[in-house]
Amino acid sequence: MRSDIELRTNFYITAVSVSARLSTVLKEAKNISLEAMNAKALVARAGENVRTFKPITDYMVELANDTIRLVEEINRESLLISKSSLISLRGNEAFGHFLKAKNLSKGALYQNSFSSALLAAEKDLQTFKQDLQKNVRMLNELLEEIETRMLAANVVTSTSRLEAATVSNLYRANFEAIVAKFETAAKNIRATVMECRKVLNGR
Amino acid sequence: MKTIKLYEGQFHEWIVFGRDPDKPSKIIDTNQFLIKTKHEAILLDPGGIELFSSMLASVVHFLPVDQITHLFASHQDPDIISSLGLWDKTLPHATLHAPWIWEGFLRHYGCNNITYSSIPDEGETLKFDGLELQFIPAHYMHSSGNFCVYDPISKILFSGDIGGGLNSLEDPMFVENFEAHIPQIKTFHQRWMPSERAKDKWLKRVRKLDIKYMCPQHGSIYEGDDVQKFLNWLDDLEVGTGLRV
Repeated sequence: MRSDIELRTNFYITAVSVSARLSTVLKEAKNISLEAMNAKALVARAGENVRTFKPITDYMVELANDTIRLVEEINRESLLISKSSLISLRGNEAFGHFLKAKNLSKGALYQNSFSSALLAAEKDLQTFKQDLQKNVRMLNELLEEIETRMLAANVVTSTSRLEAATVSNLYRANFEAIVAKFETAAKNIRATVMECRKVLNGR
Repeated sequence: MKTIKLYEGQFHEWIVFGRDPDKPSKIIDTNQFLIKTKHEAILLDPGGIELFSSMLASVVHFLPVDQITHLFASHQDPDIISSLGLWDKTLPHATLHAPWIWEGFLRHYGCNNITYSSIPDEGETLKFDGLELQFIPAHYMHSSGNFCVYDPISKILFSGDIGGGLNSLEDPMFVENFEAHIPQIKTFHQRWMPSERAKDKWLKRVRKLDIKYMCPQHGSIYEGDDVQKFLNWLDDLEVGTGLRV
């Protein structure tokens, strides 16, 4: 993350565009949830033969639920960024107006009479920038959390593949299809999240 | 920004600010008025946000900024008062006097600290530091909630958009030749002023006043006989011409 948050007019648009991309993540998380339910049903049907698959399906459900929760948090944070970036932008403009007035009023008898307003505008601007940086940092952390979980999902996919290879022929194809869908969903989520982080930090 | 002391009496002064050379070229030029008493002051139609720096820099030549205890907005347009959010940061203890119908709208410009004092439709008198200013109704001239300000001591009528024109930075601050001035104000009044009835009512009201200077928020100031010439000219003018289409 860039530490020097530039106050550009497109910052709030960036946050909104991150938020818009999250619909893909949400869709894929719901797919994972659906596949996890399919897997659970399959495990119940297959009985003892596939009991090692149960913790995997539990993990898939947990992963889907966590991702959906994180997306909700990211949406909230994106909204906060949109708001705080607009506030910062306004604060920046206000400070600019007071600074310009200071330059224009050189030699005026009562030039110092608006010093306190100038200082307050400068202080406000610093606070607004800090708030914005905090919001951006938080959003990055949330995106990073999803990404980390998707990396873990890769490991689970490998394990699932090995497990799928050991089950009877009757169920193997079904389990392999579930694993493949899980893998695709996780990959898509990761790609979208990486894109979001790129958009957020690459301004 | 051009600054002219319009009136200097025993207890108060009128100062006009206009023709800002620093303003962006595509925004309309405006006149801002400061009435200063010994301890307090009021800014009439403080102007748009683009003018704020120039205005603030100009007024501190005359008084410490916190001496401005009142602001007045004749109506809701951005060239009148879009600087409100910045004055709100500069004068947190001031009071804004503006038409009651625009309170919810004007607050969009930012009014967190300044007190909003709603002017009723029939107008009212503002008294401070020995000065009395009359808020004269001028509804639908052009805004649906609109006031002029009359000072009976200096005999100055601040007329807001009435009498204004689409002028340039080079135009004089005072009308020098009324006939020659008409082309600058004709379209503005025909197109911006919507109602014959409102025009007649306003004319009837202001003809009762003893006016030495009529000060519009755009264009040049009318002095002496030119005030009557303007009122007569407006009386004969057809307004609301946008309805022809």
